[in-house]
Amino acid sequence: MRKVDLCLSSEGAEVILATSSDEKHPPENIIDGNPETFWTTTGMFPQEFIVCFHRLVRIERLVIRSYFVRTLKIEKSTAKEPVDFEQWIERDLVHTEGQLQNEEIMARDDHATYLRFIITSAFDHIAAVYSISAEGVAVSDLS
Amino acid sequence: MVKLAAKCILAGDPAVGKTALAQIFRSDGAHFQKNYTLTTGVDLVVKTVPVPDTGDSVELFIFDSAGKELFSEMLDKLWESPNALCLVYDVSSEQSFNNCSKWLEKARAQVPGSSLPGVLVGNKTDLAGRRVVESAQAQAWALEQGLECLETSVKEMENYEAPFRCVAKQFHQLYQEKVEVFHTLV
Repeated sequence: MRKVDLCLSSEGAEVILATSSDEKHPPENIIDGNPETFWTTTGMFPQEFIVCFHRLVRIERLVIRSYFVRTLKIEKSTAKEPVDFEQWIERDLVHTEGQLQNEEIMARDDHATYLRFIITSAFDHIAAVYSISAEGVAVSDLS
Repeated sequence: MVKLAAKCILAGDPAVGKTALAQIFRSDGAHFQKNYTLTTGVDLVVKTVPVPDTGDSVELFIFDSAGKELFSEMLDKLWESPNALCLVYDVSSEQSFNNCSKWLEKARAQVPGSSLPGVLVGNKTDLAGRRVVESAQAQAWALEQGLECLETSVKEMENYEAPFRCVAKQFHQLYQEKVEVFHTLV
């Protein structure tokens, strides 16, 4: 099985929900493979988005590139529909003035069909997420 | 086009007209509260304000909390993570103006490390004969504190939308600035 970045629109991933959206900085920017584009939050926290893989995947490593994110919660689901999310990871990020936050999370071969990212607090009024990459393998298609 | 959302806290001494201002704004000038009622806890007014010359708007969540709570711990909870401040005083009350610095300090303490867009509002300009706080005096202090400054008469329905349009515009400006920063990081 080929190890790939599962969190790319070119790999079939899709952002199916985001709580805020500026037309100029839509949530699709998170998975477009372009390191320069980003999604902005546009108001009060919490803010969240849900990534759908359209298949069951096994994740080994997650990397989140962001700015001004303070507390990040990640939930996962292995259901066919975006339901039954369970708490997976919670991180307090460090503010890195003038450079992107690059948060690496080692997963223990966790399975998911959906990931839900919840930004519960930020270091400023507005936060940005540039990319999420999820290294791993596709396990099976959803029938 | 973007619709932003901002938590705007209303601050100032009791009876300066915070609730009257929020309610007249909510109802587009239909309701002036003639009888004073002391706000206990918090009232929430939600209203979308367009930002001129853009297709953008800001949905304001206006938190109108009790003015007698300056020193209460409950206020810290209600005021958590504000995006904007509307600081109100009564032009016929020197004390309400003097207390603005305490309200401002308390509001800014909620957002350590980031700026808080804000407007200073002198209300009750209809009480012209009893005015004790001059516009120039308020403007000088507001400038010093980095606040916008204006006057209203909620009773005469004068300028009551201006404070909210002002904070919406400032928050929109702040958003644009943050987006610029996000661009420069890559």
